[in-house]
Amino acid sequence: MLESSGHLGESDVSSALTYEEFGAESARLGRKIADSYQRYEIETTEVDDVDPLPHRFLVEVGKIGLAKFIIKEMIHYRGQVDIILSRPCTYGVFSGPVGGFVPRPKLCVGCLRCTVQHPEFVSVLPNPDRLNLGDSYTTHGHIAAIDEEAKKGMVPVRGQGYRGRFGGPGFDGMLTDMSEIVRPSRDGIHGRELIGTSVDIGTKPMNLSFDSSGNLVGSSPRMFSIQVPFIFDVPPGDLGTRQMARILDSTSRRIDTLICLPAANVLDWEMDSANIVPVVPKSLPEMVSEFEAARLIELDGWDVAALETARAATNALLGVRICFTDGWQEKFSQAVNHGVEVIHLNADLHGRGSDGRFVSDLFKEAHMMLIDQGRRDVVTLIGSGGIVGADHVPKAVISGLDAVALDLPVLFALQGRSHGSMTDRGEVRGTLPRKMTDEWAEQRLANLCASWRDQLLEILGAMGIREVRRLRGEFGRSMIVRQLEDEAFAGIEGYVSGGPA
Amino acid sequence: MTFTKPSQALIDKTTGLLQSGMNARAFGEYGAPEALGDARWTDELILSTWYMAETGKLPEGLNHKTGKSDGGFDRLDFRYLPESEWLEHSEALDTTLDLNRRGDAKRRISIDIPWYGGGMSYGSVSLNVMMSRARAYTKWNSYMSTGEGGYPIELMECKENVITQVATGYFGVEEETIQAAPIIEFKYAQGAKPGLGGHLLAAKAGEEVAKLRGSVPFVSLFSPFPFHSTYSVEDHSKHLDWVETINPTALLAVKVSTPHDVDMVAIGSYYAGAHIIHLDGSYGGTGAAPEIAKKNIAMPIELAIPKVHKFLEKEGVRDRVTLIASGGVRTTDDIAKAIALGADGCVLGTTDLVGLGCTRCSNCEGGPSGRGCPWGLTTTDVELQEWVQPDWAVQRLDNLYSAMQYRLRDILRQLGLSSVTELRGRTDLLRYIGKEEAE
Repeated sequence: MLESSGHLGESDVSSALTYEEFGAESARLGRKIADSYQRYEIETTEVDDVDPLPHRFLVEVGKIGLAKFIIKEMIHYRGQVDIILSRPCTYGVFSGPVGGFVPRPKLCVGCLRCTVQHPEFVSVLPNPDRLNLGDSYTTHGHIAAIDEEAKKGMVPVRGQGYRGRFGGPGFDGMLTDMSEIVRPSRDGIHGRELIGTSVDIGTKPMNLSFDSSGNLVGSSPRMFSIQVPFIFDVPPGDLGTRQMARILDSTSRRIDTLICLPAANVLDWEMDSANIVPVVPKSLPEMVSEFEAARLIELDGWDVAALETARAATNALLGVRICFTDGWQEKFSQAVNHGVEVIHLNADLHGRGSDGRFVSDLFKEAHMMLIDQGRRDVVTLIGSGGIVGADHVPKAVISGLDAVALDLPVLFALQGRSHGSMTDRGEVRGTLPRKMTDEWAEQRLANLCASWRDQLLEILGAMGIREVRRLRGEFGRSMIVRQLEDEAFAGIEGYVSGGPA
Repeated sequence: MTFTKPSQALIDKTTGLLQSGMNARAFGEYGAPEALGDARWTDELILSTWYMAETGKLPEGLNHKTGKSDGGFDRLDFRYLPESEWLEHSEALDTTLDLNRRGDAKRRISIDIPWYGGGMSYGSVSLNVMMSRARAYTKWNSYMSTGEGGYPIELMECKENVITQVATGYFGVEEETIQAAPIIEFKYAQGAKPGLGGHLLAAKAGEEVAKLRGSVPFVSLFSPFPFHSTYSVEDHSKHLDWVETINPTALLAVKVSTPHDVDMVAIGSYYAGAHIIHLDGSYGGTGAAPEIAKKNIAMPIELAIPKVHKFLEKEGVRDRVTLIASGGVRTTDDIAKAIALGADGCVLGTTDLVGLGCTRCSNCEGGPSGRGCPWGLTTTDVELQEWVQPDWAVQRLDNLYSAMQYRLRDILRQLGLSSVTELRGRTDLLRYIGKEEAE
């Protein structure tokens, strides 16, 4: 990504330039622009675990069986120490001081060679403690992926194909497209560094107007950019501690994004800054005047009077949070009609509205309402709820969002554990590692963001799309498994559109 | 730590234990390892593949037909005839497949089984694995693709059954290996990482691998996406013309993944001169790939085959091109279902590796050890690659294909068909089954 920074400086040439001067001036300015460009990147460093997830596997070795085997080997291979000491694990599970008598399951990757090579006394089992992490939506697989991404800051890579179910509910039922030969860009592995992930927050006029003298009239853009299409949402449940706010604040500064925090906390903890989005109760709209540094302030719910009061009290962009509960469409329309610049749509943590619909449909409906009115660029749409995997970001953007807001992934990136609901924001209960330091936590979150951004680049690169802003609402660059099945299996006995139960 | 080629005694000990352990597991002596399998490749599918590779026969008491992925092949079954109408099980049931349907002056190639071996490059797998597959496919009068990693000289003994792959990095592509091959395969994309190119990690690009690829040892090798000489179907046509000039008799295969417009890609390839259009679906792949790509980018092969088959039919060229499917094709039943959905045949990759002992642990790229597959399959580690001895591996694959061919004939006779070509596009012989029945 290329980012222009700093003032380029105006030419001191006040009169018309000669052809030669024009060339020299253009070259000078071009050089200055080039020198001021800085490619956006998130610096990653692998960090140690402070409260690792339960091991993937349990390794059980029958001591008597092992002892018998060793004795047999010592007799059979007398004197050939290298053969007697050879072990069926390249990962060191049996390479501790007493070998297989005290295996080290934390090193096991589940290749199962040991249990095939020595079926009579070695067993490898999935660890139930690991499998019990998460719930039906945010699965142990999601949590493990987030943990790995936050640890290494890299794109998870594995061999041997896909291992999961065919399609599935929610985001799993959406596939992203790729461009086979004819591509609008030359991306792929080479060229990813040129793909843009910045998004604009705020409002842009749908067209420009000029007076008879050619001067710009009417509204002008009120917006700013962030470098990734994800922000940190208000930490759910009991996660909104001062330490968490501090960590999110420093991380969001580092990667140039935003963090939503309750307005009262921002005041109490004296955290007003450009990257913090105070969420102001709609009953206290005049509170917005307290935040002089904020670029965006959100009202916690739609209320026209609150909006007018807030608008009179601040120059910051104003956003409204709207939950996907009954009547959200009406509130959404009213907010748009009253010039709200940012709408933050909220689903539950399983990505469902109160009517049970999934966010991909709900985001799409909101996006299409704006499209139908010819006002899409007037409003920025941010959405939260159900975003727990890297693939969910592009899929939410395809569904119509400008940016997503992250909630539960923060807990798992910091190796926290959930003890409460993972559906209802207010009921989330989590604990964070006692040994967690701010520095460690910031690096974990930065790693997670880098990994998710890189994975977004993979998706965009495969499509040949050069910037994530162009992905917004591009339903045509997604494929819905259910629709593909209808097309592929129509006419096959027993197939019912949408699939039989 | 550096590793050296193990002593013969150590090879004998390790391979002996591995082979007897696989045998014991396949025969149910100890049951399935508790941590074995996933939704697509269940423990039963893996063990049944081992059983077939051990015996050349179909297992009893193990599901060797479907996984538990709750969709695609796993929710399809056949509408068999009543038993009284079944044909006799006989070698007369024809499983051959013609690969050149254009009726041009190029080679007439017919393979004895409607599948061949997918490209797994030297580097992504060991030479032992590569040679074992090549010899097994030669024995079955079928083919194996080199993948993009060059053409080890040892492969020349099987040159009549080796497909030279030309992919976007052009690694190891030489005039001699183009001239040697009866089929040249252009790989535009692969299902496991569509649109992303390839990446051989530094640890696997050892001395020999680098030499063959014209590179420096232990440097990561990227195969870009897409071909940087191809912006259009016309450019693609130029590619095929170029190969035709070097080897005028070779058949031309084009391997693509499965985007939403895969039907247009297929017809474009046909008009550019392809004899074989090879669709690689998103759920397969043998090498390392980003997790996000495997699950999310492009469509599973079950959904792409009918789309392309119908479109080629509509365009009136279906009988002039061979449509091959891969990417998540695991079993004989999958092959037969793919053919019923509209493919002519399939390409296997993972199935071969599972037959040789792969447990699909996913550590192909190196894993924490950095050495690659602990089973000696997807590695060029000098020690680990010795765990797969070619004679043993060829025999296993031979057994596996024998059992698979038997099962294919079993399906044909129960459908009342005397040839696998009669099955193509017969969706009327399929039924979509409920979730409970599928499980």
